[in-house]
Amino acid sequence: MNGVRQMWRVACYEWFDALRSRRALVVLLLYMAAAVCNMHWSINLLHKLENELATVLQLPQSEQTGVVSTALWKSKPFQRIMKQMAQNDLVLQDITGKHPVELIYAWFAFFYTPLLVVLVSGNRIAEDLGSGTVRYMIFRISRISWTLGKFLGQTLMIGLALILSGLGAYAVAKYRLSGSGTPDLCVNVLQWSVRAWIFSIPYLGLAMGLSHLTRSASKATVMGIIAITVCFVLSLLLRHFTTETGWRAYLPYLNMLMPEDHKMYLWRNALAPLVTGTAYLLTLGFCYLLTGYAFFRKRDV
Amino acid sequence: MNHAIETLDLVKRYGARRALDGLSLAVPRFAVLGLIGPNGAGKTTWMMSVAGFLHLSSGSVNLLGGGPFDPAVHGGRITILPQDSELPLESRPLELLTHYGRLQGLARPEAARSATAMLNEVHLGDRLNAPIRSLSHGMRKRVMIAQCFIGYPEVVLLDEPLSGLDPREVAHMRSFLTRRRGRQTLVISSHNLHDIEVMCDHVAFIEKGRTVRIATLEEVVGKASTLVYQVTAEPADHDALATAVPEAALAFDAAASALLCRYDPALTTPEAINRRLLPALLAQCGVTTVTRGASLETEYLKNL
Repeated sequence: MNGVRQMWRVACYEWFDALRSRRALVVLLLYMAAAVCNMHWSINLLHKLENELATVLQLPQSEQTGVVSTALWKSKPFQRIMKQMAQNDLVLQDITGKHPVELIYAWFAFFYTPLLVVLVSGNRIAEDLGSGTVRYMIFRISRISWTLGKFLGQTLMIGLALILSGLGAYAVAKYRLSGSGTPDLCVNVLQWSVRAWIFSIPYLGLAMGLSHLTRSASKATVMGIIAITVCFVLSLLLRHFTTETGWRAYLPYLNMLMPEDHKMYLWRNALAPLVTGTAYLLTLGFCYLLTGYAFFRKRDV
Repeated sequence: MNHAIETLDLVKRYGARRALDGLSLAVPRFAVLGLIGPNGAGKTTWMMSVAGFLHLSSGSVNLLGGGPFDPAVHGGRITILPQDSELPLESRPLELLTHYGRLQGLARPEAARSATAMLNEVHLGDRLNAPIRSLSHGMRKRVMIAQCFIGYPEVVLLDEPLSGLDPREVAHMRSFLTRRRGRQTLVISSHNLHDIEVMCDHVAFIEKGRTVRIATLEEVVGKASTLVYQVTAEPADHDALATAVPEAALAFDAAASALLCRYDPALTTPEAINRRLLPALLAQCGVTTVTRGASLETEYLKNL
């Protein structure tokens, strides 16, 4: 039987098994609940700001949250101000055309997905190495099929979590914000789920790659949390210390190894940057994963 | 190809310690071989090396004539019951074994059929869909044994298969494994020498990472060439006994309180020896039992 088919079977079983795992299910539901709460609180905040704005301008307060914000967001002068404030004109140009609900959800998804990845998937391989479960697999299939299958299964799991969180956020927006119940908005929110899913892949590769190095599930989770924090901070530092001349001019190349550096591609509308970003992020994910696998390939289980 | 497994000069180092120290062992095809040795002798390390779990420091392994373990060549043809390895706790026995079967290349209906048959064989037919988490230690062990026989592999390595099972299941598993003789190659590691004696037709004594002896059970215990008389007291007149059976060699094992009579099966028969030796022996002491062959335990302890 070829390796790809075996990998797919491992992936399907892994997904199925992860869904049954109470811990993964709890994290998944918590993530969905967090997306719902985030949307709810953001709408509350929006409502409060609109009321304060109406009070300052001595206008009658609106019953429906979002009417003022949407009008403001879409106004040309406001968009001109935002463009002047932002450094990346292209990104800003793209995001000012979006509905606030999309942006609230996108911010949430991009910010918390790495944490979701580490909590759900960061210890799956270490767990199997520690309990010896892996021994029932690797005399049946190759180690690489097992690793890639686990990775693919967890990718599907994260995808499900993001889709559910997107639907949850949309449902809250539909009932709390006027004019937000359109199917277009639902599709757009789900598009952001897909973008966040692509963004999760390098973190998944990083967390699962690290998971090959230890037999302790809790140690793997801690290593994953440290790794994503280091990636985030390092990316900020590299951007901060970059100059146009001297050796620091090469720092952006180093930054290309960090997932954060490619996030901006995913905020764009055009297909070209989206494809470029996706290619970078997928490559990074597989590189991280296979670095961990290189160690696992040589280790005793 | 006469041997299912051939391992030559295997060395596995853990720092300065050598878990395998030049262990060579050839397992004949369709044999049921018992691996016997004290704790830390290298039995588990040998099995794990053969199954590709461990990377050897040196030495060579040849499995079914296809070189060292390679999942592309040996996947589905060799299975193992590893020691101290848990099954996925959230899984159900039937779906898990079906999954394993499919990974071995079986079609879904065939894998499901094989899994159901094996689970019924280990008396878990009523727990096919119970989470493994909810099964007792012994039941989990039986699922572990069942997974070894999915898809009828050519070679099965079993590390302490009967430990943790209740007496009824031990007897059943012994009978099940004995029935594999001549159909599959089995290697069984166990500290219970009685189990080995019942199930195996070959034995290998392993000590300090080396093979001390490998032979057929027949050769080791001498079933065809030894009679053991369990006596109530040591016979006083050995000469009278020797005169009764001049073609045999007699020795008294004081620790076991047994008289061992070794003979050449080409020259005489056990019945002929009994006819002449028993009256001479009964004249001197009581005889409680007469058995063919020494016990494996006696032979094992002699080889240490």
